[in-house]
Amino acid sequence: MNPGQLARARQVAPEALQPSWRRRLINWALTVAAAAAFVAMCVDLQLAPASVLSGFGKLGTFLANSMPPSDGGDLPRILVALAETFAMALAGTVIATLVALPLGVIGAKTVVGQPVLHFVFRRSLDWFRGVPSLVWALILVSAFGLGPFGGVIALALADIPSLAKLFSEAIENADEKPLDGVRAAGVSPLMALRYGLAPQVVPVMASQVLFFLESNFRNAAVLGIVGAGGIGFELEERIRIFAFDQVVFIIGLYMICVAALDMVSQSLRQRLA
Amino acid sequence: MLELHGVTKRFGDTLAVDNVSFSCQRGELVGIIGRSGAGKSTLLRMVNRLTDPTDGHISWDGRDVSRLNGAALRQWRRRCAMIFQQFNLCPRLDVITNVLVGVVAERPLASSLMKFFPAADRARAILELDALDMAHAALQRAGTLSGGQQQRVAIARAMLQEPELVLADEPVASLDPVNAEVVMDALQKICRERNVPVIVNLHSLEIARRYCTRIVAMSKGAIVFDGPPAGLTQTVLDRVYAGRMTPETAPFSIVEAA
Amino acid sequence: MSETSSAVTAFEALRRQTLRRQRLQTLAGLLIFSAILLISFQRSQFFSSDIGDDPLGRIGEFLNRMIPDLKGEALLADSRTEGSLAWWYYDLPRWLRLGWQTVEMAIVATVLGAVGGLLASFLCARNLMPIAAVRFTVRRTLEAIRTLPDLVLALILVAAFGAGPLAGVITLAVSTMGSLGKLFSEINEEVDPRQLEGMRASGAGYAAMIRYGVVPQVLPNYTSYALIRLEGNLAGAAALGIVGAGGIGIELQRAITYTEFDTYLAILLLIVGMIFLIDIASEAIRHRLIGLGESR
Repeated sequence: MNPGQLARARQVAPEALQPSWRRRLINWALTVAAAAAFVAMCVDLQLAPASVLSGFGKLGTFLANSMPPSDGGDLPRILVALAETFAMALAGTVIATLVALPLGVIGAKTVVGQPVLHFVFRRSLDWFRGVPSLVWALILVSAFGLGPFGGVIALALADIPSLAKLFSEAIENADEKPLDGVRAAGVSPLMALRYGLAPQVVPVMASQVLFFLESNFRNAAVLGIVGAGGIGFELEERIRIFAFDQVVFIIGLYMICVAALDMVSQSLRQRLA
Repeated sequence: MLELHGVTKRFGDTLAVDNVSFSCQRGELVGIIGRSGAGKSTLLRMVNRLTDPTDGHISWDGRDVSRLNGAALRQWRRRCAMIFQQFNLCPRLDVITNVLVGVVAERPLASSLMKFFPAADRARAILELDALDMAHAALQRAGTLSGGQQQRVAIARAMLQEPELVLADEPVASLDPVNAEVVMDALQKICRERNVPVIVNLHSLEIARRYCTRIVAMSKGAIVFDGPPAGLTQTVLDRVYAGRMTPETAPFSIVEAA
Repeated sequence: MSETSSAVTAFEALRRQTLRRQRLQTLAGLLIFSAILLISFQRSQFFSSDIGDDPLGRIGEFLNRMIPDLKGEALLADSRTEGSLAWWYYDLPRWLRLGWQTVEMAIVATVLGAVGGLLASFLCARNLMPIAAVRFTVRRTLEAIRTLPDLVLALILVAAFGAGPLAGVITLAVSTMGSLGKLFSEINEEVDPRQLEGMRASGAGYAAMIRYGVVPQVLPNYTSYALIRLEGNLAGAAALGIVGAGGIGIELQRAITYTEFDTYLAILLLIVGMIFLIDIASEAIRHRLIGLGESR
């Protein structure tokens, strides 16, 4: 490239050929600072390579011990625990749906037109939505003692605000036209809901409930660890005594159940669509 | 007989319908024409009371219906059936249930909640559908039908109400010409055979001329013409469409009329 | 007339047939569902649980015990005075330290998980990984990771790595990799193929193609997803402490064990505040990123 060309290029696009050193410097400084902060955090957390290595070594031993997986002669009990976990998930989801349904209807802008009321209602739902089921479970298990009851209520309490919000949105997003058509036939408001609104929103709501059932099955397994029984409790017990052949067996079984539930729920949802 | 006296509707500052008065007899097929925004839809929706008039009176056979409420209002809506541009069916319900919505108001609450209808109702619904050549689709979901088919289902629903007056708000605006003809034929047949007045909003002059026994033209919420189709001269059209529609740009055959 | 009535008979016949099938299906479905539901309520001891005579009263009592016994006149006194704020938050420095540790865990785990997810996402994106077997294996692995609840993984890792933040960081990093890997690969598959073709046409290698063809298109979306995940990881890190995987959760657990319910509320409020701050920061960054993406 001859000097003349360079000069011309400079004239046409000065920024392209003269990278802003300041900006480059800032970018570099930011990158270095971020990397330094990251390393500092790792150090602060005592993430030493030695302990990482020894941990993975132990994990390898666990894995070796876990082969072949075994039910430890406790298969019936494990199956019952799995069923119990599913039972918690289903009971929690049903209760949450029953409570969320009226709340969702009240929360819909098209049902309660008063804007201030609507705002306050939605905001309070938002606030409760921040509390995860685990926190509810800790409170409820200490209030009601160990057992699935607290777990069911915890799942329901964690779901209600989110479900109510989704239900409200489903109602708000419903098409007005069929409602107009039904009203024009002179039917009562209740029948207008039955024939104009329900056919539109019930499938949407059912599909959302199925989603929550799936996620509750996962959460229910966790709640067992804090004392709500079910498969989480069985797992914790076996991890504590390093019975990893049984741990792997249970986890495998649990994953199959999750996959099966997901498949059933997905096919149901497709039929609803 | 339907009578409107000084009916007015305001939305905030805009005057949608301005002091409209007219009456309409049994057996008349009245076409309301005008540019979009002329107040045609609002006028029809006020007759059926889906929209409340700001001022004026609407009466049917001498009885004021513009101040009805609750059960009496629903009774009135049953007597004047409405057909919409977008059909307004429930796409997820099957065709026969959509038609049976026309009798829901007269049936007991519990059975209606269960979507149960007596055999006599079902038979009537099928006969109405069959008259429009739609009985074969009775158990299909309404959403799976074409626009023309859906509009025929909507007409069957209206007929099940055994209406004394039929209102149709742009019933053919979303349809292709063949289906538009089927639907307009059906409305004409209803008007003649059941001897009920039919009021229909139209944007197509050609269709209005072909089917209507009387044409009402609206502009800016007010009636600017009311008479037989033959009286619809170019001068009148200029007023209705405010000079926007010269013979060259008119999408419909105004030329032959002029 | 015979024609129309034949239409009615034809319909009624069809209706009976459809109805019989539908009713059978509905009946079977209802029976199965109510049986499962009944067993579920029975198994979860929903109605049979011994929850005392007055369950609502117990919750009420519990909530009541969560409210600290603050006294207006002593509100700003030191921690030895009963009823002061400092008395309620009697171990504040320790909680703040553990809270900060929780934040660090979330950040480190998100970074590690995002890097892992990034590598995995390139390996399972249809337009970037030609070998189907690799795509399949990586996808299934990510799926399996997503199925495993964090807390279960944490239990195992605490057994392997000992109690402390290390187990928590690895747990969160793995689960972050599982979810971000999937999201990232979805972004990758939406990459505009014309740019890739352009690169290939000018003779770029695989690495150069990803660096200059893919990364500029996807970076804003990546960051946005990673930040959302950071918010989730903070709540996750707080919870993991319950099983001893580091962070402030251990204090929550301790408060419950020693029935210091007012302390429980104090720590809970601290966590909620922490999550709130991170949410605001992350949302601000995300909005700037989206704005940046639009102006480009």
